[in-house]
Amino acid sequence: MDKQKRRPGTRRLVQLYAALLYNANLKGFITGRIYSGEGKAVCVPGFNCYSCPGAIASCPLGSLQNALNASGHTAPWYMLGILALFGVILGRTICGWICPLGLIQELLHKIPTPKIRKSRVTRVLSYLKYVFLAVFAVALPIWYGVGKGLIVPAFCKYICPAGTLEGAVGYLQHPANSTSFWQLGPLFTNKWVIMTVIGLLCVFCYRTFCRFICPLGAIYGFFNRFAVTGMRVNPDRCNGCGLCVSKCPMDVKHVGDHECISCGKCVGNCAQGAISLKAGKITLKGPEVGKNADPEPVIRKRRSAGRIAWGIALAVLAFALVWFNFIEADPVPAVTAEPAAETQAETETEAAVGSEIGNLLPDFETELLGGGNFCLSDHRGQAVIINFWGTTCAPCVAELPYYEQLKETYPDVEILAIHHRAGAKKAEAFLADKGWDQLDFALDSKAKGLFTLLNASDAMPQTIVLNRQGVVIYNAQSPLDYEKLEALYKQALED
Amino acid sequence: MTRKKIFLIVQAVLCALIAGLLAAAALRLYFSGTGNQAGELFDHIYTREKAGAALLPVLPLFLVSLAMTVTGIVLGIRDENADKPVRDAKLLRDLGEVYRCAARREDARGTRYLRTAVLALALALIVLGILNGGLEDVLAKGAAICTECIGLG
Repeated sequence: MDKQKRRPGTRRLVQLYAALLYNANLKGFITGRIYSGEGKAVCVPGFNCYSCPGAIASCPLGSLQNALNASGHTAPWYMLGILALFGVILGRTICGWICPLGLIQELLHKIPTPKIRKSRVTRVLSYLKYVFLAVFAVALPIWYGVGKGLIVPAFCKYICPAGTLEGAVGYLQHPANSTSFWQLGPLFTNKWVIMTVIGLLCVFCYRTFCRFICPLGAIYGFFNRFAVTGMRVNPDRCNGCGLCVSKCPMDVKHVGDHECISCGKCVGNCAQGAISLKAGKITLKGPEVGKNADPEPVIRKRRSAGRIAWGIALAVLAFALVWFNFIEADPVPAVTAEPAAETQAETETEAAVGSEIGNLLPDFETELLGGGNFCLSDHRGQAVIINFWGTTCAPCVAELPYYEQLKETYPDVEILAIHHRAGAKKAEAFLADKGWDQLDFALDSKAKGLFTLLNASDAMPQTIVLNRQGVVIYNAQSPLDYEKLEALYKQALED
Repeated sequence: MTRKKIFLIVQAVLCALIAGLLAAAALRLYFSGTGNQAGELFDHIYTREKAGAALLPVLPLFLVSLAMTVTGIVLGIRDENADKPVRDAKLLRDLGEVYRCAARREDARGTRYLRTAVLALALALIVLGILNGGLEDVLAKGAAICTECIGLG
């Protein structure tokens, strides 16, 4: 057995490194919450769901769809610039080296089974990803966002297996998020089936998702011909034997075209030593054996530069792990979760303070958008519904009219809708457009920490219903329709 | 048929079976859940307990497949056809001269100009995007989970 072959190569180590760096918020898997700090304003180059509990930055494809959704009022310059920047610097080298989804696909392909090799069929199918890009990542988000005013990142919502695996499963696996199971329905079932089918195909067919579906790879493919980093062929050495293309697992027509992910396998396959992986004029991987091999001093210099680069990269990873897991803490509430003694006495209940069903929700006070303050203890004796929402959350926006309707029908119910601190600045203008005047709206912020105080999830929408004693009778991360809201309201009055 | 081939086929069947069972578990939960939901307002299609029970039967198969994968990797059992060059003449018809012409030349001046222009454009777009609030939009979307966007519901 050749031990050399079993050892992970440099590319595999870089893939693992990138996957860990993108998901350096490891504590998210323990707490069941996502990282929601300023780092999420930045996108990583590879495919990595920003709703993964470990993610420290945003997914470029999800962010692009969100930007296109909002293109009716904000031009998507930022995301177009980010994608162009990644594309022109790295091209599809991103897919081959620093995409976590690419790593997962390659690991699945490692499972020893008979394999489907590339063919004319797979080459034709490789153009399918441009259809996914045009329809699901561009046209539908624009159509929904600009035409209908709805937030629908169609590729994330209907197809993305990374969203299902890293986002949905990553989130659901934590016991604290058990109530999120309640909202699973046809959408999740479809996506789960799609994920398992794509996963199965990846076992038999190399990088199925990457080759036939991935819109992000399609975007980076446009830049591949002139990206700073990529495969280079020395035309003076190339004899046109075509071994590079015929042994390449991707559907390339020639080295470095829009399908090439710069994995570098062709460097070793080329007997002429004509191919190398370069970043500008720097050779990252060149021929090391054969008649045109790079001179020994050059190879030594490259390896020593590689060791230095690894040293720096590992230092960055160590810093990220320490920073995201130990230093950058979640927002701290400005008020404590302990209710004032007199409030506790007024409620005449011995329930423990907390946000679980049967708990007494901690008292809090916050200013309202329309003026005035909301103090929870002022509403004892009333049914109170607290909704946690965000303008970027389509189900949240879809369910708020039901709350409005409930308030119109039952004026004695107190409804407070608290906007997540992310995007709170734009919420006021959004609400002015909608004209929901029956509800009380408040904006959360890092200083207020209402979500933290009330132990609300970052997965929205979430609703807490309190009975007349201020005791929680319902708390779930799940959208509600009018029928359920009304039933909960009536239950709050009975308890 | 060699033992190696049998091993690969058994593993392929196992993988297909696991994927099929995973998909079937979700479909079964969904269809049985929607049937039950008709009567009760707060009956849920999925719950943690139901999902756990539905996925449990897949676990033994998964463990067997995992053990076979590890064994296969350790013993070097793999489909060697996958490494052989593709011989389809029509598929490779673009090779030869076309291939060499298309090969990227490091010193192509046009490429360098295009690269610089796109880089400058990208930076300009990023600055414009930061000024028009695009950066905040990315933060707003990434800092909270939109359950619909990840397929929860």
